[in-house]
Amino acid sequence: MSTESSSTVARVLKPTILILIAIVAISSRLFSIIRFESVIHEFDPWFNYRTTQHLVKNGFYDFWNWFDEKSWYPLGRVVGGTVYPGIMVTSALIHNVLHFFNFPVDIRNVCVFLAPMFSGLTAFSAYLLTKELKDSSAGLLAAAFLGVAPGYISRSVAGSYDNEGIAIFLLVFTFYLWIKAVKTGSAFFGLLTALFYFYMVSAWGGYVFITNLVPLHAFTLLLMGRYSNRLYVSYSTFCAVGTLLSMQIPFVGFQPTRTSEHMAALGVFGLLQLYAFAELVRGYIPPKQFRTLLRGGVVAVAVIASFGLTILSFSGVIAPFTGRFYSLYDTGYAKIHIPIIASVSEHQPTAWTSFFFDLQMLIFLFPAGVYLCFKELKDEHVFIILYSVFASYFAGVMVRLMLTLTPVVCVSAAIAYSTLLDTYLETSEHVLASTKPAIAAAATSAPTVIEATTSDSKATGKKTAAKAAAAAAAAAAAKSTDAEAKAHAKSAASSEKKRFPIFNLDSRLLVILQLTWFLFMFAWHCTYVTSGSYSSPSIVLASRQQDGSQMIIDDFREAYYWLRKNTKEDAKVMSWWDYGYQMAGMANVTTLVDNNTWNNTHIATVGKAMSTSEEVSYKVLRHHDVDYVLILFGGVIGYSGDDINKFLWMIRIAEGVYPNDVKETNFFTPRGEYKVDHDATKTMRESLMYKMSYYRFAELYGSGNAVDHVRNARMPAEGPTLSVLEEAYTTENWLVRIYKVKDLDILGRDLKDSTAFDKGRVRKVSSLKKK
Amino acid sequence: MGRLGIRRTRLFITVVLMALFTLLITATTNAQTTADIIAKKVSKLQAKATKTKGIIELDSLAFDDVLAKPRNYSMVVLFTAISPEFQCVPCKNFDPEYRLVAAGWSRIPDKSQIFFGILDFKAGQSVFQKFNMNSAPSLLYFPASDSPESSPSFDRYDFGKSGFQAESFANWVNARSGLKIDVQRPFDFLAFSLKIMGFAGTVGLAHFLYTRGGKVIRSKYLWAAVSLFSIFIFISGHMWNQIRHPPYSMPSRDGRPGFIAPGFQNQFGLETQIVAITYAVLCGGAISLMSSIPRIESPSKQRLAVIIWMGVITVMYSVLILFFRAKNPSYPFRLLF
Repeated sequence: MSTESSSTVARVLKPTILILIAIVAISSRLFSIIRFESVIHEFDPWFNYRTTQHLVKNGFYDFWNWFDEKSWYPLGRVVGGTVYPGIMVTSALIHNVLHFFNFPVDIRNVCVFLAPMFSGLTAFSAYLLTKELKDSSAGLLAAAFLGVAPGYISRSVAGSYDNEGIAIFLLVFTFYLWIKAVKTGSAFFGLLTALFYFYMVSAWGGYVFITNLVPLHAFTLLLMGRYSNRLYVSYSTFCAVGTLLSMQIPFVGFQPTRTSEHMAALGVFGLLQLYAFAELVRGYIPPKQFRTLLRGGVVAVAVIASFGLTILSFSGVIAPFTGRFYSLYDTGYAKIHIPIIASVSEHQPTAWTSFFFDLQMLIFLFPAGVYLCFKELKDEHVFIILYSVFASYFAGVMVRLMLTLTPVVCVSAAIAYSTLLDTYLETSEHVLASTKPAIAAAATSAPTVIEATTSDSKATGKKTAAKAAAAAAAAAAAKSTDAEAKAHAKSAASSEKKRFPIFNLDSRLLVILQLTWFLFMFAWHCTYVTSGSYSSPSIVLASRQQDGSQMIIDDFREAYYWLRKNTKEDAKVMSWWDYGYQMAGMANVTTLVDNNTWNNTHIATVGKAMSTSEEVSYKVLRHHDVDYVLILFGGVIGYSGDDINKFLWMIRIAEGVYPNDVKETNFFTPRGEYKVDHDATKTMRESLMYKMSYYRFAELYGSGNAVDHVRNARMPAEGPTLSVLEEAYTTENWLVRIYKVKDLDILGRDLKDSTAFDKGRVRKVSSLKKK
Repeated sequence: MGRLGIRRTRLFITVVLMALFTLLITATTNAQTTADIIAKKVSKLQAKATKTKGIIELDSLAFDDVLAKPRNYSMVVLFTAISPEFQCVPCKNFDPEYRLVAAGWSRIPDKSQIFFGILDFKAGQSVFQKFNMNSAPSLLYFPASDSPESSPSFDRYDFGKSGFQAESFANWVNARSGLKIDVQRPFDFLAFSLKIMGFAGTVGLAHFLYTRGGKVIRSKYLWAAVSLFSIFIFISGHMWNQIRHPPYSMPSRDGRPGFIAPGFQNQFGLETQIVAITYAVLCGGAISLMSSIPRIESPSKQRLAVIIWMGVITVMYSVLILFFRAKNPSYPFRLLF
């Protein structure tokens, strides 16, 4: 085989492999569709879906100016100004293009398949990024890793129509462009970086990670004495254009010039200009005077900058860190001050098991890759090192930020893995070059073998062929010219670090086979995790029955459909904020609070209504025109994510705003336990949430055998009574319960009395008799 | 007849008036005595508390006496078990913080409004039983109550939510009683001198690095070590420990080793350290496979090194997976065991 044909083969193979990786990445995200159906998942995706529908139906300008009066009743929400529109615009664009070519694809399917499609692109950008760091074989590995790594799949399965689905692609691609820009020093790539940064800003709040990491990289390079015109051009282009573009998103607005999260970017920009200016001046002034000038300049700039910053922050022009970001630095902050942030499960810190679960083998290859970056330590490797350290920290603080860590883990593990392969297969030119003496020595004795093997190994890059070739080369080298090779190697690399080939075939085989086995295990692990943990749509639940057959629990959609069909068009439904987006999307009703938790007081009000007694709660319900109350109750089928388990957060959040009406301690027994059975406290038993959850629950089981399967509690035979609400609908498995808020009594009686009267129990008389 | 009648009525009225008057007098004296008792109690408590830096040591009897109603002062009581046989670590940790707040009592202007008591389990077992309390420390706040009938209402301080810090506890008392208690931590000479030394050390180090340590600070091996160390720490769940403060380890129970916490989203301090070391060994194995082994000159030694390192990696990786299976029993994969 000649060199020309071999490079042709490589040219064909690489795209093929990349396409195959993309296909694997997409198809491993389709479990949920095959098992259930093409449906939007979870909570936030429902909002994105609803807004995308609006965008497709009413056009871009209407979407931009949309005031949504159906959420946050009675406040409403300015959707256009409080949303990252990237994902909606992307899918609307795809939808419109497809329709232009007469492919009548439903917008729902575009939304469902958006994240898997972009995961293919993410794998491709991981390839590009890694190629800049090492070579294309490492790039292929990185693409394969990122394509199937559960840490990324967790947020990008089909149906998980969320910002992160496209944002991770944008993150990786922006980083690739940035590295390309720094390497080439071209304003064109700087501009492209800025453009994709803009796309990222429009898609996900996590863009702040880029806003801080890129300046940090530039700053570190400056500290390392690696200032260059390349850096100046690329960073200045990126920062100037990127900042201006990012301010075009209404939700971001003037934040880039006013909040502390963005200050680093501007600060480094200023620093670079000063540095460049100093470099310019240096060329025109004798060194001694320049030194004096520099000292004076540094002092002057420092004084002016610190004064300016102090004045600006005290006068309120620059805002301090926002809560969500602040909680990343001071980890105890959120727990005490912002229960609403602490209550979200994806904001919890990450246990070591989650790291292993999401990255398996990659997690220990990742530091090895970082070590290799230190060995090379070009500008782009500095970037990967910084990215690794900071992303590890953030991923440790917040589970959801595993997403930003996963790309760098894949890239860096791929570098390590491919270096291992290079060493033990000896195909890459860089190892070949360093071991030239050995090969040359071998060539003298067995020229034909070596010629064949070197061309072979260069040619394919395919594992099996390369393995055979390398093995042959190794055997030849080991057998014939052991001593000679040694001597040559010594003389050639006496001053530098000496590197020898791997002499023995068996050690090569051992390492390669073992590594391949690890790869197999990784693939199994990824499939297992994806299929078992990350592919549940969570609006449709599946459980196994005793005979092994599958039971589909579709209570959520049942309840939302009931609401959609049986309530007035403007019915206001109160529920805990978790279900707000789903109700708006599926039931098309007006909600009080939803997953966009922008107004803590309003959420606390709902919490108060849930956690106080009927009398107090009724006033709140009437004030907010509530027609229905919707709760989740898992006690019948053992669904642990129900409202009684979330109840403590409602109480905590309500207590933060209404400390006189709600007290957390009153919900705990004197022993400090959270109980729902006979031991439940009076406040607990009188709270609206408790009453709604267990209303008529005991009747389901007959005399005194009612057992709550979530909390393993034997319930009292006499269940709670309701007087201000009446049961409107309870789904098949009791998972969702809907209550109607009664109107005021027509005779002006207390609702408690009128209910008692209706039931034939004449309260007053009986109470008189007792006395 | 008529006059007599009038006289009789007069007499009657006088008698009634007298009776009323006496009643009134006795009533006021009665009232005075209750007030007296309370006042006496308050002054006694105040004297006691002043002597012992704001702390009133209670036992079962004294507890009932102090909390008897009516009372015009509120009472904070710490239920604790300080003696060593109970091995109550949080009790010991909280004790100085509680005393700090109690010491703040002597600085509030009106000292008769609130008192701080400590009830040790040894001295007041019956009270512990009465309050159905089987964990310590517990901290209860009893507000002032005028009427004897009012239900035994009290507030419980939530250690889990508000923490063991004196300041947050003082805030909690402030929110209930309206009394501002300022917490003054005693000057900690040890910490201060450590700080001074640390500062001096930093300055010295900075000076050293500035004058001749340029090589050290520019050494990429130093930075590589720092970065890899922090990565290992972070990916083994150290931040979780920082935020959740789990115990370092637990005595082993029903066959489960003491360093593995039950539950997938739970971990012990020791556990994360073991995981971090496992990662470090695995990563070190990979690094030596790709950079140290190619430096070995002799083929047989090289073969030996490859076998050893591959063995280490395989065993450690198996251990890691085993460890993971202990956390997630349904995990189906295994390597060696």
